[in-house]
Amino acid sequence: MRSEESKFVDHFRNAEEFLKDPEQARWHDRALWFVRQKRDTAAASVPEWEELRRAAETIKAHTLEHLGYYLERFEERAQANGIEVLWAEDAAEFRRLVAEILQRHGASRVVKSKSMLTEECGLNPHLEARGIEVTDTDLGERIVQLAGDRPSHIVLPAIHLRKEQVAEIFSSHLHTDPSNADPSYLTRAAREHLRRKFLEADAAITGVNFALAEEGAFVVCTNEGNADLGTALPDLHIACMGLEKLIPSARDLGVFTRLLARSATGQAITAYTSHFRRPKPGGKLYLILVDDGRSALLQSSRRELLSCIRCGACMNTCPVYRRSGGHSYGTVVPGPIGSALAGTRDPGRYASLPFACSLCASCDLVCPVRIDLHQHLLDERQQTIRVPEYRGKVRGLKAAAFLLRHPRLYRQSIAALRWLLPRLPRSLIYNRFNLWGREREMPSPAPRSFSELYQARQGADNER
Amino acid sequence: MNAKQIILSRLGGHRTPPAEYPRPAIRTRPFDDPVQAFIDALRTAGGEALFVEDTASLDTEIIRAFDDPANIIDTRTPVSPTLETMERCDLAIVEAAFGVAENGAVWIDPAERYPRALLTLARSLAILLPCEAIVPTMHEAYERLDFDELAYGLFMAGPSKTADIEQALVLGAHGAMTLKVFLTPISGQSDFISPKEKQ
Repeated sequence: MRSEESKFVDHFRNAEEFLKDPEQARWHDRALWFVRQKRDTAAASVPEWEELRRAAETIKAHTLEHLGYYLERFEERAQANGIEVLWAEDAAEFRRLVAEILQRHGASRVVKSKSMLTEECGLNPHLEARGIEVTDTDLGERIVQLAGDRPSHIVLPAIHLRKEQVAEIFSSHLHTDPSNADPSYLTRAAREHLRRKFLEADAAITGVNFALAEEGAFVVCTNEGNADLGTALPDLHIACMGLEKLIPSARDLGVFTRLLARSATGQAITAYTSHFRRPKPGGKLYLILVDDGRSALLQSSRRELLSCIRCGACMNTCPVYRRSGGHSYGTVVPGPIGSALAGTRDPGRYASLPFACSLCASCDLVCPVRIDLHQHLLDERQQTIRVPEYRGKVRGLKAAAFLLRHPRLYRQSIAALRWLLPRLPRSLIYNRFNLWGREREMPSPAPRSFSELYQARQGADNER
Repeated sequence: MNAKQIILSRLGGHRTPPAEYPRPAIRTRPFDDPVQAFIDALRTAGGEALFVEDTASLDTEIIRAFDDPANIIDTRTPVSPTLETMERCDLAIVEAAFGVAENGAVWIDPAERYPRALLTLARSLAILLPCEAIVPTMHEAYERLDFDELAYGLFMAGPSKTADIEQALVLGAHGAMTLKVFLTPISGQSDFISPKEKQ
């Protein structure tokens, strides 16, 4: 994984890979657009929707402004409730803390509910290397885990797979009938399989959707109930959260619980919205606060990105995401928010991502916390265009800028090209220096240019 | 410096306590018929709401609604079932403190009366909810909640569900496969008095 760190992620080439199966790509596009439409219906059913979005934006901005204060307050309150709060500077420290807790409690079988933070920090491979079995219990995450794959969407982790592929994965791991791809049948099989894992587990790991500074409690939202079942059985629960998950108090939850599921899947609320305030009787509850770059982001002009509540609405609506698939981004969080966040971490490696955007700004309009996503992506282009991979494009643009500054030269070149283009063989036009033509067909030149037409018309008018 | 001190020092100027917190007030539109809104929202969430006219017939109506379940755990009186009995449980009967009209969710706090695991291990859930105890939206819901005594509590909206395979909705991913809410007329036995009203 480390060796990939500096490797350039070429979104365009990756998307090409995804589009090799046009039928699957079309299905992916339509499935996500359907989710977007459900989101629209859900949002429209709440007359005060825009008010909610503004409130969410305000609450998040306020909390971030005083993040240090609220974090200390949260720690104090949570400790008073019997929750052990730990802090992790970066991914490595986080992995170490989790492994230490599990080893100290002699836990070797862990059930985990969805947490993008643990994906971000590479927790699973770290624990597995220490002989700890980690079972992802969200159905979509379990599918990709069994397949040795990665989630391609933060809310719908297996949206890139068709049911026939799931049937194949399950038949080799859960011994289901490979020819039966019925979603109910496959879900039942997963239920039985995961029920055993739940019953055998020594520890549960969950993410956190919202942490409440005033109450020292936290909220986890799922549809499957896997966080609830997972934490209800073993005596050990480790909850993991990025610093930005904090909000001042439970009284702010009305705003966020009304926005989250409606934005994510078009549901009015998730099936389970679970509040954890104290460990189970006789149990142990740890909460790890992870920085991993968040404090640096807070000090930057990209601070607003920390307001994200990970609903995935920007992915579902994004015309580029829907047609290129989550894996094409090469990040844990894909889509518009993922591109913006990746640029704050490693602009060189993720230089192609701000360009995986049509600047249509649809993401801004669906974002429940009103992040100006397309503006962030546009701004990031200023930096990322400087990477060596784009040297050719920069040269091309400079040449174009030079021509546009010299009208006579411009007109002469256009005239020459108009004559040349239809006469040159394809191999010469689409040469290796023609970066624009690499992905596109050159336009067929009009017989007369605009200025020629204009001049001719002016002349005709004068004669009249 | 330990990790906490390092992180807090990185947060620099973001450590000052807020002078004031202008919590945004949301103007919600009241429902004409909150009970009907609750019933509709619960149906959308894959659950079902049933009216119970007479509390005396409640038990028979629950049994009928679930097609004679063999193993029932009734938590109206405190119980301490074993893991094995919970695993075999066809139907758990639990009380909800209140419901939410806009989304069909009910607030459940097992407190010390039964283990948390029962809520997800039972195949079906019968949830008792007094008709009067339905608030319009999540804002009013959180106004009602008192966290002081809470260890674990949840809003449950319909049965456990997933659409992770090709976006096809399947009920009963891990937890309850069916969930029915029995709307009861308010009675002397009902414990629907929110903590705030108690004070």
